[in-house]
Amino acid sequence: MRVIEAPPVTVEAYGLTDRGKVRPDNEDHFLVAHIHKSVDLLCGSLSADALQHQLGTSAAQLFVVADGVGGGPDGDIASERTAAAVLTYAGKTAGCFQGLDVEKEHNLLKALEKTVEEVHQQLIEGSAFQGKAPATTLTLVLLVWPRAYVVHVGDSRAYVRRRGRVQALTRDQTLGEYMISAGAWSEEQAAKARTGEALTSAVGGTDLMPSVGLIDLEPGDSLLLCTDGLTNQVPLERIEQVLGLPIDAKGMVEQLVKDALAAGGADNVSVIVARGVA
Amino acid sequence: MIQKKICMVGVFATGKTCLVQRFVHSIFSPRYLSTVGVKIDRKEVMVGGEAVTLLLWDLEGRDGTRDVNPNYVRGAHGLIYVIDGTRRETLYQAFDIRNAVSTYVGQIPSAFALNKCDLEDEWKLTRSDEEILPKHGLHGVRTSAKTGVGVAETFQWLAESTHASVEV
Repeated sequence: MRVIEAPPVTVEAYGLTDRGKVRPDNEDHFLVAHIHKSVDLLCGSLSADALQHQLGTSAAQLFVVADGVGGGPDGDIASERTAAAVLTYAGKTAGCFQGLDVEKEHNLLKALEKTVEEVHQQLIEGSAFQGKAPATTLTLVLLVWPRAYVVHVGDSRAYVRRRGRVQALTRDQTLGEYMISAGAWSEEQAAKARTGEALTSAVGGTDLMPSVGLIDLEPGDSLLLCTDGLTNQVPLERIEQVLGLPIDAKGMVEQLVKDALAAGGADNVSVIVARGVA
Repeated sequence: MIQKKICMVGVFATGKTCLVQRFVHSIFSPRYLSTVGVKIDRKEVMVGGEAVTLLLWDLEGRDGTRDVNPNYVRGAHGLIYVIDGTRRETLYQAFDIRNAVSTYVGQIPSAFALNKCDLEDEWKLTRSDEEILPKHGLHGVRTSAKTGVGVAETFQWLAESTHASVEV
């Protein structure tokens, strides 16, 4: 009997941010990181079998987009600090991602949430004498193939494209979305309302309510993380179209940013695309 | 700390997400948004004077092209099969799902939430449908994410059953 093993999956990812055409500064931050723990054995007498386990590399990818809240103080600082804190946490725990049981998996998610809560507290405490704290959205995916852990705050988004269909992994934490969910507003009313885009949850904001989820990816799936500088400018149909183009992640990201700018570039825009390539 | 992983399973649009939202956040949204992957919430309940944290895994609904992902239910301590009482077929689809899920997790405490019981005029489950559950040793409860009827009781029953199944 011949065992046919599934081909290894390579994760191809790229990200880009742009100030846009209207805003004077870019308050978005993003990161794409490969996290690994490895041992470089210079010399030794251990057998290959004994080394196999020791040299196992635990790999994960981290993708983050954060959109500093405009109109408030230091939105760019809030988004940068938040993204950096998540990266620091992921770096410290590198090597602990593989073979997670139920309890460890929940502890990982809890720790990610705690990291976000700590930055939230720091932002609030740091502004105690200055009034309003700097705030930011956050959408992060920690990908331990095939499992993608998602932590989300605010209105930056994560989508998955599977078999030609793009579906949202996150729900905007905005007043408009809340009112629609409660049945109080129609989608049209939410779009027209001035307060519709107000965040009901933000890192450094009045309230912080991280939502957590996960999805097991399949080879060929694509992940998209983006700030609202993309989704407010480019219709979902066009995003679907671009994610379906026979080009690499870099090409998709560049095209989406280009589309956002062509549509007016009214806001800072950040885009990350990650694909599992068999 | 005692943690119990509880998975919400069932076909699409039976109200899995709404039940979790009602239980955890005391809210109900009439708008249907299908879940992609898994949404995770937590809620602490008391069982025999001990705090138990329920880790609620709200799984994407099964449809014609998508089965329950075994990796999502693996390690679960309890299950809630959610049935839409206004769509009789969802009860029998839940039995199909149960057959598949049991092969991954074995026999673990499970409740059948007969949901949307506030829609009395549209209710399609017969008395004999509902009587099938205890005959199979299953715990069935009428629930309404809209009014809250049966919701806390279902989760509490599962918390107690999963807690007890460890102690035995």
